[in-house]
Amino acid sequence: MNGKSSRRRQLLQFRWKEYGLGYLFMLPWMIGFVAFVAFPIGWSLWNSFNQVFITSEGFKYTWVGLDNFRRMLIENNAYPIILLTYLQEVLLIIPLILIFSFVVSLLLNEKFPGRGWMRALFFLPVIFATGQVIMELFVQGAGELPFMEQYNLDVILRQYFSDTTASMLLGVLGKAVIILWYSGVQILIFIAGFQTIPKTVYEAVRVDGASPWESFWKITFPGMLPFIGLNAVYTIVDLFTFPFNPVLEIVRSNMFSPTTGYGYASAMAWLYFAIILLLLGLTLWLTYRATKGRGELR
Amino acid sequence: MKLEKAYKQVKLDIAETLAHRKTQKLKTVVLGQNVKDGLIAKLAIFALLTVIAFLYVKPILYMVSTSLKTVADMIDPVVGLIPRELNWHNYAEAWRGLKYPEGFFDTMTIALFGSVFQVFTCALTGYALARLKFPGKNLMFFLILVAFLIPPQLTIVPLYMIYSELGWINTPFVFLVPALFGQGLRGALFIIIFRQFFLSQPKALEEAAKIDGASAFRLFFRIMMPLAAGACLVVFLFSFVWYWNMSYEAALFLSKDFTPLSLRLSSMQMELIGNRAIDFSAGVGQDPISEGPRMAGAFLIIFPPLIVYLIAQRWFTEGIERTGLVE
Repeated sequence: MNGKSSRRRQLLQFRWKEYGLGYLFMLPWMIGFVAFVAFPIGWSLWNSFNQVFITSEGFKYTWVGLDNFRRMLIENNAYPIILLTYLQEVLLIIPLILIFSFVVSLLLNEKFPGRGWMRALFFLPVIFATGQVIMELFVQGAGELPFMEQYNLDVILRQYFSDTTASMLLGVLGKAVIILWYSGVQILIFIAGFQTIPKTVYEAVRVDGASPWESFWKITFPGMLPFIGLNAVYTIVDLFTFPFNPVLEIVRSNMFSPTTGYGYASAMAWLYFAIILLLLGLTLWLTYRATKGRGELR
Repeated sequence: MKLEKAYKQVKLDIAETLAHRKTQKLKTVVLGQNVKDGLIAKLAIFALLTVIAFLYVKPILYMVSTSLKTVADMIDPVVGLIPRELNWHNYAEAWRGLKYPEGFFDTMTIALFGSVFQVFTCALTGYALARLKFPGKNLMFFLILVAFLIPPQLTIVPLYMIYSELGWINTPFVFLVPALFGQGLRGALFIIIFRQFFLSQPKALEEAAKIDGASAFRLFFRIMMPLAAGACLVVFLFSFVWYWNMSYEAALFLSKDFTPLSLRLSSMQMELIGNRAIDFSAGVGQDPISEGPRMAGAFLIIFPPLIVYLIAQRWFTEGIERTGLVE
């Protein structure tokens, strides 16, 4: 009896030594997570239900409940409109980036002389995608697609869409090249994804008489679905700090505004997060549905 | 006679077969056995990619060409991408406007130390998640994924409040301390990369070292880290470039004194426009006088990461495959 319990204690001791080591390795991250992620999020949530004032003794809170959200949505309703416009833009940008990076990576996956250089070239924008530099280029009109003026897209779009939608579409097309610059990492992920489909499968379907067109839709595309989902998620995350994302700027300007302050700015951020969460959830759900029973997203 | 005829026939047949074989061979070279490996297909792919690539890099060419133009060249519609004469004056002005050496030092401090810290902490965390056993591991991995998906907009307000309480605003600490604790720029992504990398390594090495009596730290620093040198380099390079290019977080936390180059560009723009009373009817962007220095400034900013990329290009483009992030 006694020996058994001491053995058990020893085992427990041994286990905890091992666990302790694990926690020791995780310690920096755990401290960082609590200090720079969990605590700020909690504080931000608290802020969003309060009016925050800065006095000489520090922060002063007045509980206002949902008032910040009410003011934002109903009283000064510019912000929800900006958010919805940006959401529309994002919904246009994501397929744009995904299709472009998929096609380019499909081409880059073939063997031809100079492939390494081409790959390097398409990754180049990631190297210098500084917000300010991109803004500069955009202001100069360097990001426009050349055929836009040629075909009078401006007039055509305004004919078929409502005014706001048309200007949004034109806005996206006007910076198309710069938007496509945000597909460097996605191209790499797709190229890596192509390597996961074994060559023997292609040989097998060719022997069975499938045309390349069929083998693309029956083998390549389904095999790439998880990567398309992964890239969609990455693109959404990448667009958080997109230079044309208006939200960060608005949150910042409201932080220091005397009429709104930290509380109101936090409420704004939470509304944005709610929309992003919805978008992410939708993406993950679609990916899950499309790949059901065929492996999973990382 | 008959024999001769038959002989001729055979000879012809052989010649025909040979010719047929030759054309067949040519056909495979040109068209390929598979549609995709033929010469024509390859040329088509190459041509298509070249066109896309040209559109893709045109803004950069535009930047370089504008930065070398004189004002006269800029206004003249005849001058296209190639300026009539190379004009380095814009660079001198941008160098002064950005206070380049100072800005370079500030940006370098963040990018270099931030990346080193990130490599260290993310490797530690990734290793623990891949190899060590402890309760709550899955929860922590889940939290890391969540941390990756949280927009910076959400945490930026309270972080500003925390940093200003600590007096860190306008110092490099706002980026270096979070990096040291694994919460740097896209730290979650790097942790995932390291975790995938360590998961793909064989266990035998560690077991051997353990049997030989190596402590966990010794094992990590003497065996696992050297093994992960490739992954470390990839993470370092990506982190460096992303820190270098970061501008939105920097715009909030570092507005004066200690400012990275990207922010100096916008303040330089203000100065240039402020100094000269220009006609705003053309729009701020189209102002031909400040356009040259601004483009030169933009090029000066992207120049250091460009050099890094030229040297380490291979690790960038092969990194994602090599670290086994995608499986």
